[in-house]
Amino acid sequence: MWLPILGLILGVSLGFLSDIQIPQEYGNYLSIAVLAALDTLLGGIRAHLQRVYDDLVFITGFFFNILLAAALAFLGVHLGVDLYLAAIFAFGVRLFQNLAVIRRVLLTKWSEIRKVSETNNS
Amino acid sequence: MRRKWMFSIILLIVGFMVAVQYNTVQQPAERDTRDIWAIRNELAKERKLHNDLLTEVRGLDDTLAKYETSEEGEAGQALADTVRDLHEQAGMSDKTGPGIVIDVIPSDESIALGTPLHEVSPELLTRFVNEANRFKDIDMEIDGKRITALSAIRDINGETTVNGLPVELPPFQIKIISSDLKNSEKLYNFLQSSSILDDFYLDDFVLEISEPADGISISGRTDQPGNRFLKELPKGG
Repeated sequence: MWLPILGLILGVSLGFLSDIQIPQEYGNYLSIAVLAALDTLLGGIRAHLQRVYDDLVFITGFFFNILLAAALAFLGVHLGVDLYLAAIFAFGVRLFQNLAVIRRVLLTKWSEIRKVSETNNS
Repeated sequence: MRRKWMFSIILLIVGFMVAVQYNTVQQPAERDTRDIWAIRNELAKERKLHNDLLTEVRGLDDTLAKYETSEEGEAGQALADTVRDLHEQAGMSDKTGPGIVIDVIPSDESIALGTPLHEVSPELLTRFVNEANRFKDIDMEIDGKRITALSAIRDINGETTVNGLPVELPPFQIKIISSDLKNSEKLYNFLQSSSILDDFYLDDFVLEISEPADGISISGRTDQPGNRFLKELPKGG
């Protein structure tokens, strides 16, 4: 449990300390990549909770989603269509769906635990 | 365990990306809204400063070279030269050169209307000095009182004073010396078209600006400037 949080903290501090900035033109790509990464991450957590997690699917999904999202945004810029909005929409919807599923799974688990402890007590 | 490590690395990447994105979004804390002319102006200003500094450095280098090359006996001469230069810079010594003479006189209208003659206000004089100081390398004297970097134009007990000495009621003279006749010409043209003439006219005065001429002389500042912070080093120190 602590190792992933440590990783997150390390990543954030690394990003702040290195003080890297992306040129304004590429800001869109990075934002969409961040969104894709978050989406995959939440998807991974959901899969883990539902016991359908697979390493290969998670890792490939993570990098493939990021690349595809950036590529889509790139294509959109060159076609004059704001395709990155489509990606943001898709990822955004999925992000919330994943969150909802995670919440429900956790709720179910919690109520089960409560039920068990109640029956134990009585 | 392997899964944990994988999650950690992925989270590290996500954290890094989020931080970079945050940095990028936060970066232009203050938007640069200057247009190309404003930037050009800024650039010109900096370049001018650069030039001025280079000139100063060159001057100091010259002085240094003079000290170094001069013989024992001439060292005193070099020092005296420096002191004279500094006196001149500080406006302590008399100076003669090309320049213009400006007569401040009451306007015809005020004489005709019988308006009582009054002093030129310190604000107006300050405005005039500021206006003239747009030009570099000028030396100015108002009613025989030399304007230096330390000069104060102010009201003392109802009297307009320069360097603490009262300025006479108009008519009196303002003399401005430039480095050469061409600059005097420029200053003359500038003052002729300046709105400072209107400002004086509103106060019932007229500025009569003479054509630039050679051999205008102005006096140095007579009183020693106060020195509150500099101290003499002990001999040999």
